[in-house]
Amino acid sequence: MNAPYALDTELAAPTKKHRQPIKLSNLRAALPRQLTAYLFLLPALATFALFAWMPIVNSIQMSFQDVQLGGTATWAGLDNFELMLRDPVFGIAWKNSLEFASWSLLLGYFVPVVIAILVREMRHGKAFFRVVYFLPTVVPAAVSVIIWRFIYDPDGGVLNEVLAQFGIARQLWLQDVGLAKPALVAVMTWAGFGTTALIYLASLQDVSQELFEAAELDGATPFQRIIHISLPHLYPVMSLMFVLQVIAVVQVFTEPFLLTNGGPGRETLTPAMNIYTRAFIRMDMGYASAWSVTMILVLLVFSIIYRVVNRKLSANAD
Amino acid sequence: MDRGFFSNVELRTPGGRLYYALAVITLLVIAVFSLFPFFFALTSGLKDSTEIFAGGLNLLPNIPRWENYGRAWTLFEMPRLFGNSFLIVGVGVVLRLLVSAAAAFSLSKLKPFGGRIISLGFMLTLLIPSIAYFVPLYTTIAKLPVVNISLLNSYWGLWLPYCVDAFSIFVLKTFFDRIPGDLIDSARVDGANALDMLMYIIIPLSRSILVVLAVLAFVGLWKDFLLPYLVLTDPYTQPITVRLFYIADDYSVNLQMAASFMALLPPLVIAILLQRYMKIGLTLGGVKG
Repeated sequence: MNAPYALDTELAAPTKKHRQPIKLSNLRAALPRQLTAYLFLLPALATFALFAWMPIVNSIQMSFQDVQLGGTATWAGLDNFELMLRDPVFGIAWKNSLEFASWSLLLGYFVPVVIAILVREMRHGKAFFRVVYFLPTVVPAAVSVIIWRFIYDPDGGVLNEVLAQFGIARQLWLQDVGLAKPALVAVMTWAGFGTTALIYLASLQDVSQELFEAAELDGATPFQRIIHISLPHLYPVMSLMFVLQVIAVVQVFTEPFLLTNGGPGRETLTPAMNIYTRAFIRMDMGYASAWSVTMILVLLVFSIIYRVVNRKLSANAD
Repeated sequence: MDRGFFSNVELRTPGGRLYYALAVITLLVIAVFSLFPFFFALTSGLKDSTEIFAGGLNLLPNIPRWENYGRAWTLFEMPRLFGNSFLIVGVGVVLRLLVSAAAAFSLSKLKPFGGRIISLGFMLTLLIPSIAYFVPLYTTIAKLPVVNISLLNSYWGLWLPYCVDAFSIFVLKTFFDRIPGDLIDSARVDGANALDMLMYIIIPLSRSILVVLAVLAFVGLWKDFLLPYLVLTDPYTQPITVRLFYIADDYSVNLQMAASFMALLPPLVIAILLQRYMKIGLTLGGVKG
């Protein structure tokens, strides 16, 4: 439901306005206009209240409650959180998340940068590459997993057939403890790298050509021009993309849910999947909410750390 | 002239040519990876049910069986699934844009008291992952407070939550802020009310950004899985993304592939035809000028 670039607070920040002193006479004149203003805001206020603000508050509230199936809730203090910390699944799910994030950065973090730098250099066919890399991002995960599970199929799956040409033995991609995570991350990377590459590419288009010309006149080799002009231009976007990629991976649900259902064992169980299982299969909404609140806190702490580090780094650079 | 870190003159030297060739090859290899699942689904859908498991690297079918696509179309009841998806996503996109445009217009031009606080409230939803409040969202849909109506198994249970999109509101507000206030004032002098201003001034001037947001919303909502999966339990009302996965296993793999490929086409066609708008949309949030 959220837009892909969920953390762009600077775009979203309200503009500062000049405050006017409020007078009673102004207020009376302003009343009809204020009514109209709120009338136009009403649909958004109502839907946000019902389907975002209230659920957010409820989620926090329910994490301190024992919620019964009929909807009656009793205060449970920190019971849910204590239970969660003692639950062996807690460590497993978050460790899986960390491994997913590492795999995803390893497989997918630098590829879009390389793509953007190379496509920027193309004199023909830029548009072609842009579309081709972008197409996987519009595919619904629920459809792509049907295709991917056949690509990964142990007998007759095309991946094993390709590897067989090089004499590599058949692998049980989604059933093997060591392979399930990277196999899943490969699907997620396929589905996501195009967006990131396009964002880098758009950023690279802003580099002024005079900079490259000046560097060339000063005798910088093409490789030095990448290192000293293109890459530094991308650093701010790259650091933002780092955060967005980790945040997206931590929330991942559909791919592991449909492709491996958390297996083999609990190798691909993610916190989001556990929230789903606890709330909708085991009907323990209070306990599931404790996990939700933990997820909000983890992501919040992560983005605060990012902000502080980023500010320190940019302060040092100046 | 357009140049990158290589100048056009350098590209004509042997080193430049070598570099350019390597770059093209690298990009083409990545393009093959990117397109392979589409190609694989299309051609696997054309094989017969024994050929598909024959082993070896036969990517293309011996005899393309186009009738598989016809069979998958009827067996998977594609017309109904597509119809459901288009209805859910189409109305969802229109409602989201209407609600967001009205809110952005109010925040930008009508100066409501407390507008800053309301904006902060909208912004808050961008900072909290939706999966984290998914459980109470579901209970709200199952039983709306005060009126006690359940929206389960109703498309309103999707359409209303789909209206919540702070990203659209802020993009539109930024855009509306750039429309000169004089236009609004002169319309007011001419006796236009706020609705007239929105319908006849603001919206016609922001047609391009509205198309960008509509394309983004279409692709985003078409991909949604968890919410329709839980809200719509009646198979006859489910969108293609939910239903296809659950009936796929009942049919042979070649039909699964044919059905999957057909299911990919609408967002694919939109992305290709409206790539200009998608490109603008993707870079709206990611890059700050």
